[in-house]
Amino acid sequence: MEGRYAGASSTVPTPAPDRPAEGAEAARGFRSVRGYQATPVPVRVEIPRIGVTSSLDRLGRASDGTVQEPTRWERAGWYAPGTRPGDPGSAVILGHVDSKGGPAVFFRLRELRRGDMVAIGRADGSSVRFVVQRIEQYPKDRFPTDAVYYPTLTPALRPVTCGGEFDATAGRYRSNVIVFATMAS
Amino acid sequence: MRSRTGLIALVSFILAAAAACAPGTADRSGASATPPQMDHHAVRLVAATAAQASPRQVRAQFEQLLGLHALLAVRQMRSVVASAATELQRATEASLQSNTDALSRLVASAYGSAPADRFTPLWQRHLADLLAYAKGVAGKDASGTQTARTLLLADADAYGSWLAEASKGRVQADDAAAGVRMHVEELMAQADAYAARDYQQAYRVERAAYEHMFTAGGGLAKAGVTPEVAVGLDAPPERLRSAFAMLLGEHLELIVDAQRATFAGAQEFRAAAAQVNANTSALTKAMAGIVGPAKAAEFQRAWANHVEGLMNYTAAVAGKDEAAKTVAKQNLEGFAERLGLYFSDVVRNVLAADPVTDAITAHDQHLIDHVDAYAAKEYTRAQQRELEGYHQMLGVANTLVAAIQRTVKPRLPVGGSKTGGGGMVCRRL
Repeated sequence: MEGRYAGASSTVPTPAPDRPAEGAEAARGFRSVRGYQATPVPVRVEIPRIGVTSSLDRLGRASDGTVQEPTRWERAGWYAPGTRPGDPGSAVILGHVDSKGGPAVFFRLRELRRGDMVAIGRADGSSVRFVVQRIEQYPKDRFPTDAVYYPTLTPALRPVTCGGEFDATAGRYRSNVIVFATMAS
Repeated sequence: MRSRTGLIALVSFILAAAAACAPGTADRSGASATPPQMDHHAVRLVAATAAQASPRQVRAQFEQLLGLHALLAVRQMRSVVASAATELQRATEASLQSNTDALSRLVASAYGSAPADRFTPLWQRHLADLLAYAKGVAGKDASGTQTARTLLLADADAYGSWLAEASKGRVQADDAAAGVRMHVEELMAQADAYAARDYQQAYRVERAAYEHMFTAGGGLAKAGVTPEVAVGLDAPPERLRSAFAMLLGEHLELIVDAQRATFAGAQEFRAAAAQVNANTSALTKAMAGIVGPAKAAEFQRAWANHVEGLMNYTAAVAGKDEAAKTVAKQNLEGFAERLGLYFSDVVRNVLAADPVTDAITAHDQHLIDHVDAYAAKEYTRAQQRELEGYHQMLGVANTLVAAIQRTVKPRLPVGGSKTGGGGMVCRRL
């Protein structure tokens, strides 16, 4: 008898767990991710290769539809209606190349080369770094608006300044210099 | 409650709008309104459009088919590893074969019939070797898995050589082979993780595999056209469409995963659900880049309700709780209306709320039908509803992005910046 019961105890299958019931319980307890935290706004730009360190003004769109320019020669600005640096999309940073009084904050922007770093400091003290991929110059009347401002899902940075021929009569440059940078991994 | 007939008509409308705005969906409007008993949507889609497809359409189709290939391969391998019901294995295998047929037709339209004739057996070999790997894992056959691994990596090299030739040298064989090597490494890794019951890893790798193959679809489309045409395929509006299509298609497929995982137990469900949440986070960030942080937070709240509603319905089905199913369905209708209003608002009424609501309701219905069929062990029907849901979701993505594009563009700054006034740069030259 002992043997019979001993054998029986080892062959009686353990009741299978009720997987759908367990799963149903887990599904009932599912909570979707909520409480989206916005990326902090940028407050500072640093470009070690060309010695740039600047706080950032907030820029919008002027009444004629163009982007506002920074009000101070020595200070860069961030296009605030666009992407925050580090979020998916292209964040745009603008700075003057020069004034009648001398070089301005982005005077040496066009010296950047592939692989150079641009660091953006944010309001919460964090920072995000971008790597320069290429630099291009476009006439202002053929400015690549989509390539600079259009939403994408890839975090990128677009520092912009003036360059090319200078129209002395109008007191302005005919082209823009655009840096295309992607977020460092 | 809206009638089903009205719903189909409205879904047809929204997909027709997608066709008008985004060439990638030109012939999907009719197909998507087709009754649910029609199967193998992907095949019909490609067959209908192959002859006259534009490069953008071809890109969208390659993305959809390759993304789906990754998911179907994952599910087939898991069904073998887990010794799932025979009907489920057969249904997955049939879907994978339809996907390959559609892919072959698309390759023929993009590269010509001779390259397609060389592609098809190569891809079939890839499928056979993936299956062999899964069988090796299931049988704990180390020698079998090693042989399959060697063959899969050789398949990747063969694919690289094929694409280098088919693209007339626009793509290097090593580059193309590297992409497929990553693909097969991911598929093997997820099968290994699944067999080891490391579900978190299995589902994480699955999501990466989907994204990589969806993105590879763009590369395959670009390799088939001249560099001048390829530049157009990389334009920002096209990249935005592609990214949203990927994320929304992924949303549907991850919900399908979570629904199926519910029947496999709590541990697997939680792993699948974690990827649903990762997708929701990615979608919210994507929305933030377009509508800003406040509206992105609003999107996340509405989307979270939608996702939880689907999970509640799934829980009710798995728990055989009819009353809870009814409540969950009613809640889903309310969540769809909220999302419809939200999207209509953010695109400044370029899209009316009702058609968007109905498209989301149709999306919910695909997932409701899917889990109902899966619970009833009607795996072929479940598979059909999943495929229809995937393509419908991509149609919704195209519609939304087309509307976003129409509202975003006028808000962008005009022309260049006035960021200089000294003329020193010229003097320096």
